Amino acid sequence: MRKFLAIIICKILRVIGKFIGKGSSLPGKFALKVCPNVLSKIKLPEKIVAVTGSNGKTSTVEMIAHILRTNGLKVIYNAEGSNQIEGVTTFILSNATLGGKLDGDVLLIESDERYAKYTFKHFAPTHLVLTNLYRDQLTRNGHPMWVYNAIKESIHDSTQLILNADDPLVSLFGKDREGTLWFGADKLSTDSSEFNGVYNDGVYCPVCHGPMEYSTYHYNHIGHFDCAVCGYKRRNTDFTVTKADLNEGFIVIDGKHRIDLALKSLYNIYNLLAAYTVASVMGIEGERIAECINNYTLKNGRVLTFRLGSRRGTFLVAKHENSISYDLSLKVVASDTEGSDVLIIVDAVSRKYFTSDVSWLYDINFQLLDADNVKNIVLAGAYANDLAARFSYTGIGDYKIKVTESIAEGVELLNNDSTDKIYVITCFSDKGKFLELVEVE
Amino acid sequence: MKILHLYHDLMNLYGDYANLSALCRMLELNGIEFALDKKSLGDEVELSEYDLIYIGSGSEENMKLALDDLKENRDILAQYVEDGKFLLLTGNSFEMLGEKITSFLGEFEGLGIFPFTVTEQNKTRTTDDAIVNFPEADMTLVGFINKCSEIEGITSPLFNVEMGLANGKGQKTEGIRYKNLFGTHLTGPLFVKNPIFLKYFAEKLTGTELVDYVFSFERKGYEKTLKKLRERNGK
Repeated sequence: MRKFLAIIICKILRVIGKFIGKGSSLPGKFALKVCPNVLSKIKLPEKIVAVTGSNGKTSTVEMIAHILRTNGLKVIYNAEGSNQIEGVTTFILSNATLGGKLDGDVLLIESDERYAKYTFKHFAPTHLVLTNLYRDQLTRNGHPMWVYNAIKESIHDSTQLILNADDPLVSLFGKDREGTLWFGADKLSTDSSEFNGVYNDGVYCPVCHGPMEYSTYHYNHIGHFDCAVCGYKRRNTDFTVTKADLNEGFIVIDGKHRIDLALKSLYNIYNLLAAYTVASVMGIEGERIAECINNYTLKNGRVLTFRLGSRRGTFLVAKHENSISYDLSLKVVASDTEGSDVLIIVDAVSRKYFTSDVSWLYDINFQLLDADNVKNIVLAGAYANDLAARFSYTGIGDYKIKVTESIAEGVELLNNDSTDKIYVITCFSDKGKFLELVEVE
Repeated sequence: MKILHLYHDLMNLYGDYANLSALCRMLELNGIEFALDKKSLGDEVELSEYDLIYIGSGSEENMKLALDDLKENRDILAQYVEDGKFLLLTGNSFEMLGEKITSFLGEFEGLGIFPFTVTEQNKTRTTDDAIVNFPEADMTLVGFINKCSEIEGITSPLFNVEMGLANGKGQKTEGIRYKNLFGTHLTGPLFVKNPIFLKYFAEKLTGTELVDYVFSFERKGYEKTLKKLRERNGK
């Protein structure tokens, strides 16, 4: 009876919520108050795929859904990215029948990494994908090892893990765990033999704390690691990016499936590969998967193009409080040899909570912008001065940098007749404040 | 002037390294010669050679590795502190100086240089922005604390807490202060966030008056953050 009531309440609140444009976690919150273990009482589809990790969850889930649906499977997933237990409850209950059955082939869940233990208390995913574990929102998350421990508590014995083999901390989940599937990249042309970044979270082995060696780095501490002391090392992969060409913009999976990239960034490669892996596990042929995601443009608005007067620009999301996300966006700018101006905005550190902490700026490798092809750098937003202080340690010439607390003024500084491209890097928390000042294409 | 950044690659969680970037810039600006060494686990190190030793914050696991490594130098470090040489510890690194750490990772004997105890739990992360007052120089600092521990038994703290977390629940003071030891749970580059504190510390370290005219962005950033934190605290 409580289950029935929880479903009804959730469905009604969902309809009202959609009507007045409210968030998607509230209906689930009320439903959980009525019936705290409602999720254990719902008859779920046979396949339950969960995706968690620091970066790439939303993109990976979107691509998995796209591939599976194109191939005729009925997929239920939290497209709105509301990924804590309340949001997950909302989308499960509002898609369930009044009798408590979720009709579909696959339940696909993006899960917040730190709260996974609550979400998966009442049911077990059949498959759990772990994308990566980076320094992300440390003002709430503490540090990657803290998050690792939180996720570990949430993992059921019956779940098959699908892990990023190139991430030493993620790989730890699969140590001595049979049946684990591994995805990763072979040595790529964009790799480096030296570590690049401000800090190295792969410097010590997560098992024995001995010094770890890398035969190749894909980016930051993601690569082919090997501990000479205890033998903990990168696993051989079941699903592999065997070639990546970011200039031409394509990757090859398992030596035979070429996929053209709508976004020529390392960003996307792992998300694509994780989606490919899940789709394969769900029984779809490699060739079909490759067709589905060839040139696929993500709909989640993480990359957009815009016009400012006569100038053209690209907006790249980099998550505040997430240095690897920034590093990857900065690499996109640095590798554009045609020359560009860059606007970086830090106005609100988060859209979900308040903090005035700017420590994370010191983990970002802003030195990447110390290149001739990067012409002017504008730093804007409430924390523009903190950004400027950070940039003063990069060695980038003062003459290239302009600082303003006003986002509008920052944008105006670039509204000129230069023919160089504009890159804008900021977080979801500040995205809207920028986009309303330009013409989005 | 010899400066040691100890456990630079192990205790480096929140951009703490930038404390030394800022300090070194201050020394350079004032024409003070210095050498900066970086050492970590297993390196040979002669602590008594240095004028300033710095350790930043790390995960609970990494702090225990540092503690274990530092134990063989326990007496030398105790003497170093007693001799009035400079030791700056940010984040959880100063917790190593106490008698004992009771943790979800086990029970650990501290360096026993000060008679305080630490408890660490792994259920909830305790984090908050901070405004603290430094009574010694009558200044206000901003920052952030990110921890899972409570400390009992510190009798000579560094700061009075205006907003944010103290050493332990129900306490009103933060950090530890003794001779030229400065220990605080404030994480990240507190010298960048608080250029006035950087100047105070650098002048004490060098024993001379210093100029700090290149830190104007830092000063504006500090004002902004203090304003934002006070606004929020007023709510």
